[in-house]
Amino acid sequence: MGNEAEKPNIITSSLDFLVNWGRSNSLWPFPYGTACCAIEFMSTEVGRYDLSRIGSEYVRFTPRQSDVLLVAGTITYKQAPILKRIYEQMAEPRWVIAMGACASSGGFYDCYCTVPGIDHIIPVDVYIGGCPPRPEAFFDAMFDLQKKVKDESFMKQRAESVKEQLEMIKAKTAEAKREAKASVHEKVTDVKVFMKEKEQNLVKKAQFWKE
Amino acid sequence: MTVEEIFAALEEMFGAKREMQDKWGVTAVVPATYLHNAVQYLKDEAGIKFEMLVDIAGVDYLTYPNHEGPRFAVSYAFKSLSAPGSRIRLKVLVSEDSLKVPTVSDLYANANWYEREVFDQFGIVFTGHPDLRRLLNHVEFVGHPLRKDYPAQKRQWLSTNDYLLPELEKRLEELGYKVVQRSKEVETNDNEFLEGSIKE
Repeated sequence: MGNEAEKPNIITSSLDFLVNWGRSNSLWPFPYGTACCAIEFMSTEVGRYDLSRIGSEYVRFTPRQSDVLLVAGTITYKQAPILKRIYEQMAEPRWVIAMGACASSGGFYDCYCTVPGIDHIIPVDVYIGGCPPRPEAFFDAMFDLQKKVKDESFMKQRAESVKEQLEMIKAKTAEAKREAKASVHEKVTDVKVFMKEKEQNLVKKAQFWKE
Repeated sequence: MTVEEIFAALEEMFGAKREMQDKWGVTAVVPATYLHNAVQYLKDEAGIKFEMLVDIAGVDYLTYPNHEGPRFAVSYAFKSLSAPGSRIRLKVLVSEDSLKVPTVSDLYANANWYEREVFDQFGIVFTGHPDLRRLLNHVEFVGHPLRKDYPAQKRQWLSTNDYLLPELEKRLEELGYKVVQRSKEVETNDNEFLEGSIKE
């Protein structure tokens, strides 16, 4: 790829705008609610505050269909592998919101069983303070996340992923070539050894018959 | 029959001394050998029957001021349903050398999980318990966190998910269901079942 192609032009930037517009206005959350923050999220979702106004229309209860992992509540060490697995099951692009003091820092649970902040396990995009935070704070976090999503470049990510794939393919082909060469060398050496043995046998036989 | 008479009967039959430090005067200290009989007496034979086991709590007296005697104690709280309002508490002193207390899970079904919790947090072994495993902490946890000498800032990470399916299957079989087929992930060997966890 040349340098010209890596620079943003009118096509890539408008495609970026379009993709980011679509993504930021359809952030479907996956609620991982373990404590009182989940109750606040419920009140954010329904009637009075209505999270659907900014496009988070559905709460998906499977990580494979959602964009935002919403960790609302205390995470214990027993739950930590489960949370990590759920994050790994989400399809990219994916974002994480740590809602409330417990998910952000462990809160007042300074003890043997509570994880001091979920950023020890998974990357976090937006933190919300409060114990529990009000729905207004949650909306603020969603607006922040929308800004972040709008700032991303779809084409750049795409180009980087294509580059990565190209490099991977190159590395793999080089490795395969090396392996093939090595195996050919081995075969040639095997044949040489075989021929030598045969020659020696013939020589022995000839000597035997001479005697 | 009043609670006072029950205390007198406990002292006469099982050598249970009433603890005078208790603010409400409802505690009796029972020797560990007579615990099971005393609990059975309270449940079935006493004048006021204590049908409900409210709680089993472990106590660590390591940093307790002016304490003499064994380090640990297990405290059983009972409540009467036939005579509401009457409560009684039995206490067993456990020395650090032999951390053993007979189980009462054959008398009260909820004692099963209470005893698992006490075992988890204090390391006190309940002899005769059907399934003595950790209840609250994860399977890779080392030590007993509610002991006073457990370091307060110590953190222990879990590397895998807790594995609960064998227990579930056992309970299903008790209910009359039969396991016909297992998926590959479920199949474990005995060591994994004992540890209660699946390793990747």
